Amino acid sequence: MHPDTITGAVNELRERYGTDVHVAQDGARTLVRINDVPLPPGCQPLATDLLLVLDPSQAKPLHYVRPGQTLSNGQPVQNSSTVVLAGESWMTFSFNVPYLKGDSLARFATAVRQRFGKP
Amino acid sequence: MTHPVELRIPLGVGERLQQIVFRPGNHEYVAFGLVSHARLGTKDVLLVREVIGLDENQYQHAPGHGASWSGTSMLPITERATAEGLGIVVFHAHDHHGTTRLSRDDEQSAMRLLPFFQRRVPARPHASIVLSRDDAAGLFVYPGQDHPARREVRVRWYGQSILNWPARPATHLQSARFQRQELIIGAEGQDTLAMSSIAVVGLGGGGSHVVQQLAHLGIGTLILIDHDHATPDNQHRLIGMTRLDGLLRRRKTSIQRRQVRRINPDTRVTLIHERLPMPATIDALKRADVIIGCVDNLDARADLQQLASRYLIPYIDIGLKARPVTPSSAEEARVAIGGNIATYRPGGPCLWCTGILSDETLTADRCHPERTYATTTDGRPGEAQVVSMNGLLASQAVNEALQLLTGYAGKSITTASSTKKHDPSGAIVGYKKFLGTTGTLDEWGARARHDCLHCHEDLARGDPAWSP
Repeated sequence: MHPDTITGAVNELRERYGTDVHVAQDGARTLVRINDVPLPPGCQPLATDLLLVLDPSQAKPLHYVRPGQTLSNGQPVQNSSTVVLAGESWMTFSFNVPYLKGDSLARFATAVRQRFGKP
Repeated sequence: MTHPVELRIPLGVGERLQQIVFRPGNHEYVAFGLVSHARLGTKDVLLVREVIGLDENQYQHAPGHGASWSGTSMLPITERATAEGLGIVVFHAHDHHGTTRLSRDDEQSAMRLLPFFQRRVPARPHASIVLSRDDAAGLFVYPGQDHPARREVRVRWYGQSILNWPARPATHLQSARFQRQELIIGAEGQDTLAMSSIAVVGLGGGGSHVVQQLAHLGIGTLILIDHDHATPDNQHRLIGMTRLDGLLRRRKTSIQRRQVRRINPDTRVTLIHERLPMPATIDALKRADVIIGCVDNLDARADLQQLASRYLIPYIDIGLKARPVTPSSAEEARVAIGGNIATYRPGGPCLWCTGILSDETLTADRCHPERTYATTTDGRPGEAQVVSMNGLLASQAVNEALQLLTGYAGKSITTASSTKKHDPSGAIVGYKKFLGTTGTLDEWGARARHDCLHCHEDLARGDPAWSP
């Protein structure tokens, strides 16, 4: 994502998630953390922090949640692993969330949340 | 009570900082440090990523002031700080030994500058710090604070060893028990060990040797990390393990705690029975003064390297590979045995620079996600392990930790002092190769690769500076 478009995308997220949106610059990449994002019923826990990494060298945002998150059927997410990112533990997983240049970041975050409801 | 601020300065950066601020001239010289910060346990830590000096023509003639410079000369620095989300520290020096403090003029200058920096990067601390030859003092403004405030400063320079300013006077409290060890490391070194915290990750064949020796040395705090349980086939190599431990499948962390308590009850032990990189392991590792990795996979090494770079923590990695081979003649060895000891000094070459980590080696390692030392996925016996060979690497790893903490073989912070002797390529010491069939351990040295994204990107990034 181009740096010029990041500010607009973050503002859009703030309209949707309010003060739960936090932003940090980490070298060339921008980290966007949304606290306590509600997940579909059945997920354990029912809310997680969602981390979006906006890296100028990547075509789409990278998405992470807190380690140990399950799907709505209570099962662990397949093809997931825990990684160290920006000095913290995050869970990465291979959900294929469509994203094209110029797409809404808020819609991308919604798509990631909804994917947890589809075991 | 406000805790001191600890300032960590990587290899190379500290030398440049001292060259700038202690430069002789007819005025004082300043250096601007770009810094991140982190809260590590109870410590507030500032991590210096780089220092930038000014050209002589950027200073202004200002009688009555130690140094004065044009505001425009700071523009590129504040722009860099803003773009990378980093704080700014203005350093200068009072060239004497002993306790130092900011002068009235220094404080007035800081009171003007720090709020300006804070407006540019509100999510990071900013500071004005004065250095003497062995002490530091400073004024800091932290995120959310309205006014700069004095804080006690501890400086941790990385070079041949970890050099702490101000040095703490030796207490000699431990002298009787460690008398012969103190002949090598001194009473001050022994005190440093007692105040140090070392994390050991992986408590198998290598890690159990390391823990045993660290307890004998008198390390103050050991953070022991392993998610695994002992099994009967560990006993030939796991130091401190009994047959019953294997039968009861006791946790490896518990076995090592028992070993430490028997050797040195004064050592505090923190057990983390979790797999790297779960949150509890990450939090514990950040509190360590030195990390020793005795792990069996490259992903764990990559995680440890990232944390070490990001929080400026020295990281010693050991690894051994031994496997049977078919000799072509009776005179040739029936085994191939090789190992590495890589000591990462923050600011020096990392495991990616040495080639131990690469995209190719990580991909190859991930093809065997179920690999353990006990069995391979197809049921054949796992990788060969011999207690004495593990012990050799572990002993050298402990020597490296001892040097880092006490500087018994030298304490200089210059890059030259960490450079391999008689090596025109400028390789930094700390990458040793073990050849098991001859029993030799050779210093290969390593060079920081200028194109190493990991060294460059992760160095001193600290905690993310989240802004609402």
